[in-house]
Amino acid sequence: MRLTATESTILLNALNAADRAEQNALLQMTTGRRVNVASDDPAAAAMQVQTANQLSAGDQFLRSISSVAGELQTADSALSSCVTALQRAITLGVEGANGTVSQQDRQALASEVQGISDQVLGIANLNYNGHFLFAGTADSRKPYVLDPNAPGGVAYQGNDQTNEIEVESGYTVPMNMPGSQLFSASGASVFEALSDLATALQNGTGIDTATQSVRAAFDQLTTSRVFYGSNVDQLLSDTNFLQNENLQLAQATNNNVGVDMNVAATNLVNAQTARNSALAAAAQSSSLSLLDYLGKS
Amino acid sequence: MGSLYSALNIAVGSLQAQQAGLQTTTNNLANMNTPGYSRQRPVLQEADPVIQGRLAFGNGVTLTGIESLRDSLLNLQIADQMQQQAKSQAFVDTMSQLQPLFPMDTSGIGAGISSFFASLNGLAANPSDSSLRQNVLAAAHALATAFNQSAGQLNTTRSNLDLNVQQDVQEVNQLTSQIAKINGRLAATSSSGSEYGSFLDQRDALVQQLSGLIDVSVLQQGSSLTLTTRQGTALVVDSQSFELNTRLDSGDATRHIYAQAGDITNSISGGKLGGALEARDQEIPSLLGQLDTLASALVTKLNDAHKLGFDLNGDPGGNLFNPLTGIGAAAGMAVAITNPKLLAASSDGTSGGNGNIANLTAVATQSVSNGMTPIQAYGNLVFQVGSSISNAHADLSASTNVLQQLQQQQSSVSGVSLDEEASNLLLYERAYQAAARAISTVDQMLQTAINMGAQ
Repeated sequence: MRLTATESTILLNALNAADRAEQNALLQMTTGRRVNVASDDPAAAAMQVQTANQLSAGDQFLRSISSVAGELQTADSALSSCVTALQRAITLGVEGANGTVSQQDRQALASEVQGISDQVLGIANLNYNGHFLFAGTADSRKPYVLDPNAPGGVAYQGNDQTNEIEVESGYTVPMNMPGSQLFSASGASVFEALSDLATALQNGTGIDTATQSVRAAFDQLTTSRVFYGSNVDQLLSDTNFLQNENLQLAQATNNNVGVDMNVAATNLVNAQTARNSALAAAAQSSSLSLLDYLGKS
Repeated sequence: MGSLYSALNIAVGSLQAQQAGLQTTTNNLANMNTPGYSRQRPVLQEADPVIQGRLAFGNGVTLTGIESLRDSLLNLQIADQMQQQAKSQAFVDTMSQLQPLFPMDTSGIGAGISSFFASLNGLAANPSDSSLRQNVLAAAHALATAFNQSAGQLNTTRSNLDLNVQQDVQEVNQLTSQIAKINGRLAATSSSGSEYGSFLDQRDALVQQLSGLIDVSVLQQGSSLTLTTRQGTALVVDSQSFELNTRLDSGDATRHIYAQAGDITNSISGGKLGGALEARDQEIPSLLGQLDTLASALVTKLNDAHKLGFDLNGDPGGNLFNPLTGIGAAAGMAVAITNPKLLAASSDGTSGGNGNIANLTAVATQSVSNGMTPIQAYGNLVFQVGSSISNAHADLSASTNVLQQLQQQQSSVSGVSLDEEASNLLLYERAYQAAARAISTVDQMLQTAINMGAQ
């Protein structure tokens, strides 16, 4: 093969190739990613679309869980004080049923029971983040209002609906329990029972029966309240699950589109070596030709 | 019998031959960086001998012509490879500009879909909260904008390509008319000397340029060249060139390329035009079509789901997005409501209900096209863009390598080597000196002969 002065083209091609490789390695190292655009690895890029979507959903589930869990915990602790108050009411009823208690003392007991009823009303009307926790889904207004015509003097104006929220892909948990199952369940209404007890204490008759009613309302409340505690537990375990899943997704992202730094660094060094040696070779390759030696005798 | 005069003639002939050699060498050196130049060399031949009886005397050297060193087959291969390379290059350049429109994560349509459904889940936690409602609207708006931007950019690129196609066709016409002119001159000239060679060089260079633009099939008949497209549309026949022109097609609103035979747009498969047309007529419309399908399905399904619910005022939900389907759905996608209260999150008409959010988020797992969920459909788009670019990249680097190889080969045949020319210079100089010395020797001998007996 005849050799002609093609070094410049060869050199240019070699430098171009080395530059491209160097740029690529640098990009991979600075972004930490092997796949920076879809054409780097189309299948990995398509997979990354799914992974990123799952990660985004997972992050959102975690945020939602923390918001919902806060709400559930608030409701649970409010109900816990309600339970304590009802226990006190039962104690008062038992105390008032004792024949040795004077009418005056029963009056005092009755007004304490009335106070408990007010306290429970306050709890039942608890507002969290702008909505009422125990109103079902009609949560923009107070679920319980004083109404002399209603049994127990308190009317429920919420509804029986519950909200659900997705906390893992395809898995939902209920977010609330309407007051109608907690405070004003039929046959176990807290307000009715307390009102009856207060009346019975005042009148001195039927105190045992009234106390029984309060106990029934108490049972209803404690049974229903389990919902909150167990849901909070459920959400905490979901949180762990999601955090693990997110870790795995991050790992998958890394495996899928991340760069092995060792490989990238080696590539960078290789590209630089190739570039330097191309330049060195160009410098070495003599720019002299026979022409330079002619006529120099 | 040899004579002094014939020796003188031989020496003079040699002087002329060496001068011609020197001229050729100098011309080679002058053109060593001229693109398309093929090195030349003088064709020297022994002159016919002079026969005198039983003796045959050599009669010096004759310059029969100047020849260009070229390998026509190699040139054709180069032209062929350039068509491939220019096509891949044009396609890769265009599509690489579009690739950022289809990111894998953190931005774009995919992230828009994820964020939108995530914002709905956030709203489920507190459905009457106005900032969460605003958040959903903002996410819906961002999703629509992502679709608008991608579709808009695809459309812009498409019309830019259309403009390029027009310019490329003009360039093709220029080149073919130049080639036809050279064909004409070559037919007119009977010379086989360096003039001939430089015309061929020019024509080869023009054919290569043309190959960078369009697929060309070359047929060589003697000194004349017939150029057609691969599909056989005539571009140059002898000294006549056939213009291509562009006309706006009402069907797809792009410029189609017409030859005398009619619309040849779809048959152009190489060169810059081939790459641009592939992007303009196939890849981009396919991407736009998929974006439209995805946008249409999202709009329809989300609207349907939205209408199942009730807004904060207790009224039934309306359209969440402007109902827009079919072609242009992605470019025109827009959120229909601005008041966050009108977001229909509730399924029972109460302000605190979130039952309808489940209907809306269910769209994320429903099939929008070919059994794919929205995010899968987007992933599929990303894959398509990526793989068409990476395939074109592979083609590009393969044809670039082959082209470089061929060009080196060509250079070894037609390129000017400094060393070679320098040694030729030396040879011609020496031969010239020798011939001149011979002349002066003959001169002295003639003088001796003339002075014989003159005393």
